[in-house]
Amino acid sequence: MQSVTLRINNIACRYETTNVLENINFSAKGGDFIGVIGPNASGKSTLLKSISKVLKPHTGVVLLNGRDVHTLKSAEIAKNLAVVPQESVISFAFTALEVVLMGRTPHLNRFEMESTQDLAIAKEAMELTNTWYLAERPIDTLSGGEKQRIIIARALTQEPRVLLLDEPTDHLDINHQIEILDLIKRLSKEEKMVVIGVFHDLNIASRYCDRLILLYKGRIFAAGGAGDVLTGENIEKVYGVKVTVKQDDVSGKLFIHPQRKRMIKATKARVHVIAGSGSAVSLMNELVENGYKVSLGVINIGDSDYITAKALELDIVEEKPFCHITERSYEKNLELIKQADYVILTNIPIGFANIKNLKAAGEAQNLIIVEKEPIEKRDYTEGEASELYRGLKANAALVKNSHGVLDTLKSIESRVHHE
Amino acid sequence: MYTHYLKKIFHWKLIITYLTVILGLTVVLATTLGAAHISPVVVLKILLTKLPLINNLIIPTWSVGEATIILQIRLPRIILGMLVGAALGVAGTAMQGLFKNPMADPYITGISSGAALGAILTIVFGLTIFGMYTIPLMAFVGAAAAIFLVYNIASVRGKLPVSTLLLAGIAVTLFLSAIISFLMYTAGEKLHGIVFWLMGGLWGRNWNHVMMAFPFICFGSILIYIFARDLNVILLGEEPAQHLGIEVETLKKIIILSTSLITAAAVSVSGIIGFVGLVIPHIMRILVGPDHRVLLPSSALVGGIFLIWADTLARTIIAPTEIPVGIITALFGAPFFIYLLRTRKRSIF
Repeated sequence: MQSVTLRINNIACRYETTNVLENINFSAKGGDFIGVIGPNASGKSTLLKSISKVLKPHTGVVLLNGRDVHTLKSAEIAKNLAVVPQESVISFAFTALEVVLMGRTPHLNRFEMESTQDLAIAKEAMELTNTWYLAERPIDTLSGGEKQRIIIARALTQEPRVLLLDEPTDHLDINHQIEILDLIKRLSKEEKMVVIGVFHDLNIASRYCDRLILLYKGRIFAAGGAGDVLTGENIEKVYGVKVTVKQDDVSGKLFIHPQRKRMIKATKARVHVIAGSGSAVSLMNELVENGYKVSLGVINIGDSDYITAKALELDIVEEKPFCHITERSYEKNLELIKQADYVILTNIPIGFANIKNLKAAGEAQNLIIVEKEPIEKRDYTEGEASELYRGLKANAALVKNSHGVLDTLKSIESRVHHE
Repeated sequence: MYTHYLKKIFHWKLIITYLTVILGLTVVLATTLGAAHISPVVVLKILLTKLPLINNLIIPTWSVGEATIILQIRLPRIILGMLVGAALGVAGTAMQGLFKNPMADPYITGISSGAALGAILTIVFGLTIFGMYTIPLMAFVGAAAAIFLVYNIASVRGKLPVSTLLLAGIAVTLFLSAIISFLMYTAGEKLHGIVFWLMGGLWGRNWNHVMMAFPFICFGSILIYIFARDLNVILLGEEPAQHLGIEVETLKKIIILSTSLITAAAVSVSGIIGFVGLVIPHIMRILVGPDHRVLLPSSALVGGIFLIWADTLARTIIAPTEIPVGIITALFGAPFFIYLLRTRKRSIF
């Protein structure tokens, strides 16, 4: 199999007098899957266009196997490089198979008809993209997603060594997104193909790309592995939004979650939450959305509830990971509990590490307990917790879930209001 | 599926063969029809004398006048009708493909108004520099000038954006039409000649007209056919076409120039015959599909067949008076087209 190299050598592009791209340098070899990311108007599409010869860079060269693409004939390029555009407007009555067969154009002489071999290549591409059943359907009767898969099949029919994708999966359902990108990823490895894709979805980019190029105002802001590029700092600087970067438990890939911008002012009562193991993630969000001033404690650093509270910028009493609650944080927690109008105890398992939270809950003015399971099932203190819990329950409102909490808060408040 | 695909190609060949046979029959049949009554047998015999090998076997049983009517009056007119119809069919197909616009026709780049202005100037000023061929020559010059103008207005830094081309064509057409209207307004007794030319017709055409139009139409049509596959691919859009190896700007220039060439040649010998170039490509797209490799030749053949029959009607329906053939093409073509549109529910473009 012939190997392929692509070098982007210091290119700059400008429309009229505005620089759209500047100082772009990178290279790729067979098997690389490179993601180009960046906010709108950062030059992503321009970069793809200058690689595919649609746009001539103002300075610099794009070298495909060592040859400047702007000196090559379109047909020569098309034998090696295929492009899947963002959206394709096809409004005429060619069948899907005929459109896919057009991918053979660069390989055919002017008067040559498509041979059985060309048909076999087209069929294989359609089977890979799961579109063979659409072969005889007129292209203008297909849905957006079906059409996009046909276009991808057409690109594969070109038997390219380099595949450029401009947000290829924008119109696809999640199942087809995964299916198509898994396929392209597999082909990039098996066929030693260079894949360069522009992605809006950072999680998709992180999941599939070996290397990422983050563009910002026409320059490479960061490049390298996902770990180096997709940092909270980089993303905040480039996209102007705070994000949480986490590692996916299953794939080990990074995934990015935009943090909520604090737009709702806390105007209502103070609510303190005693939680853990992610039991209060949605509850805290709902409380904040409804205008309560929320605090959390005591919570171990790294717990999902901790991360959520951090993102929501709540008051937190924290404890080191996997450590027992210390006297100091217990006191701080007590402070918040006393200030709070309401305290909510979620359905958490109680061990010796966090039993102090139960003790602190006893100091609450108004306690609401979320109970999904009886305490006995989640008591890891040989009965001590259960005893404390029963004492708390006697003076608390009991609810089943976070909706119940909000309903209770509302009904108490309206009662107070009436009196 | 291979068999399915091979069937399609076989089907194409069949279509072209059938249409060629029908065209041949049309030429012969149309020659037998006319104001002077000459029996079909005699017509056939006269035609056969022009074929090599068998021409010596036929014993002349007709008058010199009959032979002249067939060979010097009817036949050149029919052959010219075939050429013009084919040219308009090919040009319309290519323009609709290139512009991705079902409203496009061969005249869209201002060719008709340029040719008309050339012809009308000749009529109004009574120019006779090249004798009876002055009008066709001037019409050709006018058409060429119009396309040159439109092309230069539309081209931006060596590129030819099709939407600009379309608008430039409309603008130039409107401008030239204003001059034409003025000339017609002040033409006085020459108005009838102008109107007759504008409506298009093939009366009084001879072999010299055929020889004038033939090389251009033949050369231009072949050139367009060479780029048939490229016309398919450009329907995907200009950028996708380039990604499939088409030199898009070159293709646009070749198609525009060769289409202009054959249209100008057709218009200069026949005047402005409407409808054929607009509707024949649509009809053929419905009947044979959108692939230009079969669409172009079949549009040429059917364009030829259609115009021969339309002209035959034009010269026989109220003989000896001639009706401009443009009236016939629209009068009979439009209802048929509407019928096809209504019976085929699917969009055709």
